[in-house]
Amino acid sequence: MRVSSCRKITQILRAELDKLVTLPWICLTIMGTFILNLFLAATFTSAGLQAAAGTQSMLNIGLASMRYLQAGFIILGILATCSEYTGGQIRTTLTTIPWRGFQLSMKYLALAVITLPAAFIIAASGILYTFIMMRDTAVGFEIDTIIEALVGATGYLTLTTLLSAAMGALFRRTTPALVVLLGYYFVVSPLTIDFLPKFRSYFPDTAGSYMYIPPSADEINVLTPIQATGVLMLWTLIFITAAIVFYRRRDA
Amino acid sequence: MRAFNAELSKLFSLPGIWLAFLIGVFAPAVVAALDSLAQKEEIIAGVSTRLSEVGYIGLGFGVQGVIILGVLAVSSEYLTESSESGGGQQITTSLTVVKSRFHFLLAKAGAVTVISILLCIVAMMTIVPTTHLILGEYAPAFEWTRLIGAVCYWTFTALLALGMTLLTKNGIIPLAVLMINSSVVSFSVLLSKITKLAFYLPDRAGLEMFMFTSDKFHTPSTGSFFDRFHTPFTGGLVMFAWVVVIFIVAAIVFHRRDAAS
Repeated sequence: MRVSSCRKITQILRAELDKLVTLPWICLTIMGTFILNLFLAATFTSAGLQAAAGTQSMLNIGLASMRYLQAGFIILGILATCSEYTGGQIRTTLTTIPWRGFQLSMKYLALAVITLPAAFIIAASGILYTFIMMRDTAVGFEIDTIIEALVGATGYLTLTTLLSAAMGALFRRTTPALVVLLGYYFVVSPLTIDFLPKFRSYFPDTAGSYMYIPPSADEINVLTPIQATGVLMLWTLIFITAAIVFYRRRDA
Repeated sequence: MRAFNAELSKLFSLPGIWLAFLIGVFAPAVVAALDSLAQKEEIIAGVSTRLSEVGYIGLGFGVQGVIILGVLAVSSEYLTESSESGGGQQITTSLTVVKSRFHFLLAKAGAVTVISILLCIVAMMTIVPTTHLILGEYAPAFEWTRLIGAVCYWTFTALLALGMTLLTKNGIIPLAVLMINSSVVSFSVLLSKITKLAFYLPDRAGLEMFMFTSDKFHTPSTGSFFDRFHTPFTGGLVMFAWVVVIFIVAAIVFHRRDAAS
């Protein structure tokens, strides 16, 4: 079967894409995240308008919902890998595609293909909404910084999804994976602000946040966006490698 | 009573329950220890601001454990087994064995309540020595009323998780919503910046049973995380009202819904 490695890969990729697209929960999660994001953007905007008109950067308010938004993408990543294990689907998958390393890598690629546009649209919609609402009062509006932040946000969300998918493949059950990831991103990580300020900027979520938060006067970003992307990519690759290694060795 | 025993035995044999116990017992102590360490430096520097909340903050975060408990109690019933073992759901067996759906629900809620009360008491027993060990004479006095408030908060949260999961039949949404909401970046806190109505949301009201000691309206700020809006008793009452409403809705839906659908 060494003949057409290229064709094999495209076929696996197409199969994985098919599986992801037909999963009803994926669609629901993306739509739910989209609606939630608009709702959050509205909340942040009206809070920002109430606080002090004209003093806050529009971009910061538009990106404030990112903290909550990542929950949707964490769920997306976990669903993509854990759905294989809820029935006996994993055995069918491995019977038809007996190359485990290829199969899992293609799954991550397919997930990235779906996440990338979704993340872009969702992040952009939040910024757009804030822009429309705050057109009159906002200061410091530059199209360059907005595009940079948007690209950073899209990359951050995509990498977070892949990281969660790798965690999902390691845990193989939805609930523990969800608890561990949500617990880390929403409970453990905010608590480490006080206790590990030095190492914290190299943790996946904090490093990732430097990818999209524009540098400002009162908060110094430890890493540049490029460095931050590198750090987060390293984390993601470590987890994906671990997932693939375990996947190849473990009994399905 | 036999249904109650059965529910307890089902809960204890769940594969994910160890995670709930682990978080419920150790997370509060770890958070309290870290917070005490941070506070100790401030005390020595003489700038400590919120001494009265040091240990309790652990209880505020440890509630994640009972959220998992409440969600798992229901979502495990609706988990579809693999096609190789028949593709069934546990709920059909449970409802065949316990004739009345209402009794089933009551037994389940009872089991979750008992376990979360026990878990909260264990968590307190780990928090009190931790704060005393680190803070020594500065450790806050643990008042009974606030400890009872914390137990109520844990129990109500577990029941809310149970009721919400009963409505969605799937653990993901209640788990995500409740876990984020009980963290630092809670939705309720965000909403409370816009409207006063957010103070009546269950978690915000429930936390006032043992947190948020500063009273903006009577004394100048003592540096608590947020200012108090309700008294502890009304806070508990508001949260209890939420639990009752969600339970009534969940009970009606559960009673009328086809178990297999």
